[in-house]
Amino acid sequence: MTQSLVDRHDVELAALAAAGGRQEFGELVRRHGSAVRGLLRRMGAQASLADDIAQDAFIQAFERCAEFRGEGTFAAWVKRIAARLYIKRVAKEARYVAEVENEDAAPATDHAGLVDLDEALKALSELERLCVSLCHGAGMAHPEIATALNLPLGTVKSHVKRGLDKLRARLQPQAGQPLGSTQHVG
Amino acid sequence: MSADEFDPDIERLFARAPQMPDAALFIARLEQKLQKGSRVRFLALTLAGTIGGVVAVRETMSVNLGVSEGIVAGNALGQGIHSVSLNTRNAIQTGLDQLGLANLELGSMGGMQLFWIAAGALIVVAAAGVIRLSQDV
Repeated sequence: MTQSLVDRHDVELAALAAAGGRQEFGELVRRHGSAVRGLLRRMGAQASLADDIAQDAFIQAFERCAEFRGEGTFAAWVKRIAARLYIKRVAKEARYVAEVENEDAAPATDHAGLVDLDEALKALSELERLCVSLCHGAGMAHPEIATALNLPLGTVKSHVKRGLDKLRARLQPQAGQPLGSTQHVG
Repeated sequence: MSADEFDPDIERLFARAPQMPDAALFIARLEQKLQKGSRVRFLALTLAGTIGGVVAVRETMSVNLGVSEGIVAGNALGQGIHSVSLNTRNAIQTGLDQLGLANLELGSMGGMQLFWIAAGALIVVAAAGVIRLSQDV
């Protein structure tokens, strides 16, 4: 009996996709598409740009599926491809120079008082947002980010630290609610 | 990431994928792009194969088979092959004439010329591959 796509593990689907399996790859996109798109938006990309880059990242992933050996998760692998594509795009446009900060922003909760990471990220400068997202969203190490962004390692570390401090401040739990325990509104 | 910067709550928030109402549209667009890409690749390969095939056939036809003159048994067979080769050559020449490539005489090129043309093409392909690879890394 053939196993249905939904029951298959990512590694198995990726192996089948590497052999040209479009349906299997479609299942992987269905599973992880939103995560990749979400990461790009959190890195600072506008929605349409984020979607374009996510599409390119998945196309690259399809073409290079054979390289995925299942050492990490498939989602993490595609996220890294997407993050690198975004960095390349941003570097080409020499964009991350504006250090717009929004210190007076209200705590990042929606009308229901739920913790909203995307809202909180808006309080960070462009570089802080990028560094924090690359580190915690794409799982890249500091030296890797420094190389990718062509920045000194110390600068990356301080951006991450400052960004996290701001996030913690913005994401203050309401009435003792622990962070992440509530439903995220994206 | 240093230990003091690790924050499980932040990690957890980042790990959550936001809900995308247009997820189906995203998948459909991606499927379209993948199909378009494979169609372009198929066409490019077909075109390259056809051109290569035409050149190969033309080169083969340019060679004097000498079958009809040899000591090969069965002169009729030799004549047949010779006439087929002439017909094919004429057909290809007509095709090339129609494409405006009447002056394309690969057969008249020396071995070294062909070698350098092939080497140049390989270098261009290799350079394109290296550039593409460097962009990916």
